Amino acid sequence: MDILQGLMGGFGVAFDPMNLLYVFLGVFIGTAIGVLPGLGPTATIALLLPLTFGLPAETAIIMLAGIYYGSMYGGRIPAILLQLPGDATAVVTTFDGYPMAQQGRAGPALGITAIGGFIGGTISVIGLTLFAPVLASFAVNFGPPEFMALTVVGLLLITYLGSKSIWKSLVAAGFGLLLATVGQDPVVGTTRFTFGVTELLDGISFVPIAMGLFGVGEIMYNLERGGWTTSATSRIANIWPSAADWAQSRLAILRGAVIGFFIGILPGGGGVVSSMVSYGVEKRIARDPDRFGKGAIEGLSTTETADNASSTSAFIPLLTLGIPPNPVLALLFGALLIQGITPGPQLINQNPEVFWGVIASMYIGNLLLILLNLPLIGLFIQLLRVRGGILAPLALMLTMVGVFSFQNSTFDMWLVLIFGLVGYLMRKVGFEAGPLVLAFVLGPIMESALRQSLLISNGDPSIFFTRPISGTMFAVIGVLVLFSIVQFFRKRSRHVSDEG
Amino acid sequence: MVKRFGLLLLAVTLALGLASCGGAGEQESAEDFPSDDMDVVVPYAPGGPTDLAARTIGSYYEEEFDETVVVENEPGASGTMAMNELISSEPDGYTVKLIAAPATVVVPLVEDVGYTADDFDTVGVITVVPSVLAVGSDSPYESAEEFLEAAEESPGELSVGTPGANTSQSLEMQRLDEEYGVEVTTVPFEGNTEMTSALLGGNVDAIMINASEDVLANIEAGDFVPLAASPEERPDFLSDTPTFRELGYEDLTLSTSLFGFGVPNDTPEDITGKLEDTLREALEDPEVREQLGEEYIADEFIDAEEFREQLDEIVEVYEPILSE
Repeated sequence: MDILQGLMGGFGVAFDPMNLLYVFLGVFIGTAIGVLPGLGPTATIALLLPLTFGLPAETAIIMLAGIYYGSMYGGRIPAILLQLPGDATAVVTTFDGYPMAQQGRAGPALGITAIGGFIGGTISVIGLTLFAPVLASFAVNFGPPEFMALTVVGLLLITYLGSKSIWKSLVAAGFGLLLATVGQDPVVGTTRFTFGVTELLDGISFVPIAMGLFGVGEIMYNLERGGWTTSATSRIANIWPSAADWAQSRLAILRGAVIGFFIGILPGGGGVVSSMVSYGVEKRIARDPDRFGKGAIEGLSTTETADNASSTSAFIPLLTLGIPPNPVLALLFGALLIQGITPGPQLINQNPEVFWGVIASMYIGNLLLILLNLPLIGLFIQLLRVRGGILAPLALMLTMVGVFSFQNSTFDMWLVLIFGLVGYLMRKVGFEAGPLVLAFVLGPIMESALRQSLLISNGDPSIFFTRPISGTMFAVIGVLVLFSIVQFFRKRSRHVSDEG
Repeated sequence: MVKRFGLLLLAVTLALGLASCGGAGEQESAEDFPSDDMDVVVPYAPGGPTDLAARTIGSYYEEEFDETVVVENEPGASGTMAMNELISSEPDGYTVKLIAAPATVVVPLVEDVGYTADDFDTVGVITVVPSVLAVGSDSPYESAEEFLEAAEESPGELSVGTPGANTSQSLEMQRLDEEYGVEVTTVPFEGNTEMTSALLGGNVDAIMINASEDVLANIEAGDFVPLAASPEERPDFLSDTPTFRELGYEDLTLSTSLFGFGVPNDTPEDITGKLEDTLREALEDPEVREQLGEEYIADEFIDAEEFREQLDEIVEVYEPILSE
């Protein structure tokens, strides 16, 4: 009953005219930037962060969340029509989406993915509604050792699952942890690595780091690559999938929703992992796996469904534990901190308007998205004509104004430029900014948790292993690490024997 | 090198700040003051008790003076950015800053920030939030005596959560050890929410916490049991809780947050006086009292002089501890 009551309260928040407007703005911007090549959800949210400072917390998060799950819808359009994935998540969408478009079935491909996205998103919100309050009440008693374990799990999974090269992710995450140590020591209160610069007393602010690495870095990288010149596309005649299409996709969509929901909860699990896994599952159980990669509609629909489901369920760890599972949610975590709200198990009690308001807004957002994406699809396709030469300088200007407005500091404007350059260089040599930013967010939580735990136990490290929850988590971590080490050596010895 | 760069940057900002204020020039008499917009600088993000105090009084000023009052939040760098802005502003009463003691005066003791606790003039105190030592409802300790005795018997065994390093709550626990030989392990958390979780989850034995409204709600609900309060005299809303002073820890009276206003040095006395008097009136206004929370307004107005005395006392006691 508590859940129903909370949700009703949430709808009260979400149906506030201003919040309705911002859900709409969020999902609209999300779809649009998903379509615009070169500006993924992470970059957009990073760039728009300063616009939310003046909004009430729930409105800010409602809009940012809308951008995130909205971009999942938008991202599929260039992926299907042009084989241009806007970000990593949309790569799998191109596998069967683009072949379908080539076969002249772009319409049904866009249609079924919009429907799949809606079903995936909605099933996932229902899961979020039922599951999040339970997890939050369970997590209320989490102490420093449990948070230590959670952050370690989070960091490991992010580096393990996040990208192609584990080593590069580890380096990026390590750099993020280092950056997080700048500022005041959380226990003793002395300052570290500030080099006498007073602006660094509280450490490097999250906003310039995120806006620089994700926003400016991304803009520079795309300008250089010329990834912003696109060709206009042909008209889409009919977007409605046929009865046969529907019959083929129905179960795939349901499976995608369930897989996406569960994988989205895991740290590092949102987005690309969920679409990969669901695509793999469909391919494995298909009667004729050969069709995959050549325009199999069930492969396409399950991928997009899982995408949307995972981007919704990713809110569970953020709203209940205060642990962001992926870089986009790290940005939302930052947005909440700026609003003076520390996300954690207490959020549901102390800021129910945020907790339930965001959840309720997702029901509305998903409904708006399917309305935007079925009848208005033609409008969004037009966006593919926008030229990067116009978009990039505008985005950069917005960034500089935005970061200054954060705390009226010119120092932050320099920081954004510096981190923009760092982000650009990282992209160029194949490092991802995601693990860095996540580590930067998780680092202080991890450090405080570690040191608080050891203070409580008078320096005895067994506190991490003797408490049931943190003990279990560390056991899982141990198995995971062992497993990947064994795998690493096996691969290596196979490699050696292949050569010999 | 970096330091020099920082100084250069500071110099440039200062110069810009001065240049932009240049126009005000002539001194005006207190009778005409204010005849223009006023700025209230808050060294914290919107929301929270400091922001509330500044905004409530800001809007009272606005009404009373019939001039626009702009509240600017300038968080970051431990409040030093806001303080530097105040110091570099024209001493004409048009820039007022929220002073949050002890933080505002403790920061320059710990760090070389380019100013000291004396580099601003006080106007008066808006709200006073005492600290309280509290345990959970299932704690084996039912009174301060029991808790502190247990701590004395086994030094360092009992853990006490505080809202952060270098907060008055942490420093008072340190003094409890150094001046009275009662050693507890201080565990710094970040803010009241984290401490609340830590105590409710049984992860620490007690917390030393700002008695803000969320804490009072927990006390009311019976989840927190207050053992001892920090001020010299019992606050009205904790009339059953002994103070540290009553318990024999004579000098442990400093863990009380004072939120007030400050202006740049050299602000004409009659202008500061006008701000002070209007603040005094504001705190008698029923609407203001309700907004701020009746319980957090001092029974007797803490005026500019007394505010300064209290700041001096904090500096005097904490300086030797912090410069170790």
